[in-house]
Amino acid sequence: MTDQALIIQFQNGDAKEGAFTQLLKRHRETVFFQIKKMVLEHADADDITQAVWIKVWNKLDGFKQESAFSTWLFRVAYNETLNFIAQKKRLKTHSTQNEIDHGFEHPSGHNGLKDTEIQIKLERAIAELPEKQRFVFMLRYYEAYDYEKIASITGTTVGGAKANYHQAVKKMTELLQQA
Amino acid sequence: MSLIYDMNDINDMENESISKALEEALKNFETKTKQVPAGYFDQFELDLMQKIKTQMQAPQKARIVTLFLKQKKYLVAASLFFAIATGYLFFNKAENTTTQIAKVEIINIETLPDELIEAYVNNNELLAEVEWNSAIETVGTNLISIND
Repeated sequence: MTDQALIIQFQNGDAKEGAFTQLLKRHRETVFFQIKKMVLEHADADDITQAVWIKVWNKLDGFKQESAFSTWLFRVAYNETLNFIAQKKRLKTHSTQNEIDHGFEHPSGHNGLKDTEIQIKLERAIAELPEKQRFVFMLRYYEAYDYEKIASITGTTVGGAKANYHQAVKKMTELLQQA
Repeated sequence: MSLIYDMNDINDMENESISKALEEALKNFETKTKQVPAGYFDQFELDLMQKIKTQMQAPQKARIVTLFLKQKKYLVAASLFFAIATGYLFFNKAENTTTQIAKVEIINIETLPDELIEAYVNNNELLAEVEWNSAIETVGTNLISIND
């Protein structure tokens, strides 16, 4: 069954929960990993992903299918992630400002893994990127989304999305090369 | 840096390759971010559905519905019309009431008994005569000035 058919089923109220669960099963991992790449912390990614899916449940009745479900879903995820980062920034403004950039804590061997020097550098470099550039880069590099779709998700133009990707690569390369 | 990119710049961006070192680091980054506790997604689904059910069972907040929101301009126009009409009727009615009082007084004079009218005339005869004489004098004075 396609996403479209599941959405119609949900909107008609026939086995609403079943249709939603199917959609969730199909997209939960992509959404979660995209968010985790943005915020790094597992708990934060979990909170944001839950908020995303609750929003999907509440708003799916009004979704007119003018775009693909995945585009709409990632747009919700993008907005929720930005809101979360902004909120976190506000909360931590008075405490550890120097440790935080763009609402993303600099890595310190999270997930119990021993990071190599280059890995730490990369994560620092990612943390330095503005949220939009980071989101565009992750969607393009890891999900291989086309720029039209990325532009729709992030509310920018195709040229803007390409520029964001280019800037992200450039900054990360520069930061990795720094001693 | 300019914010405007032409097509050549965009094509260059597309063709720009990612260095080996960055590629390797990005690969490791993905492996690291993809690590989740065993059974995490199944548990996630259960927790989420539980939250949604709780949300659905929670008493819904009373929705505030603004009545006639779409007909707002018509309502404003109707209110203005009502206010103007009420004002017009009120003042018009007041005018009519005054006229009626005056009419009542006239009717009362007409229905007065003759004796009362005669008494009034007798009492005011002198005054009327004085007024009459002064009127004649005025006319006379005017005639004299014309003759002059």
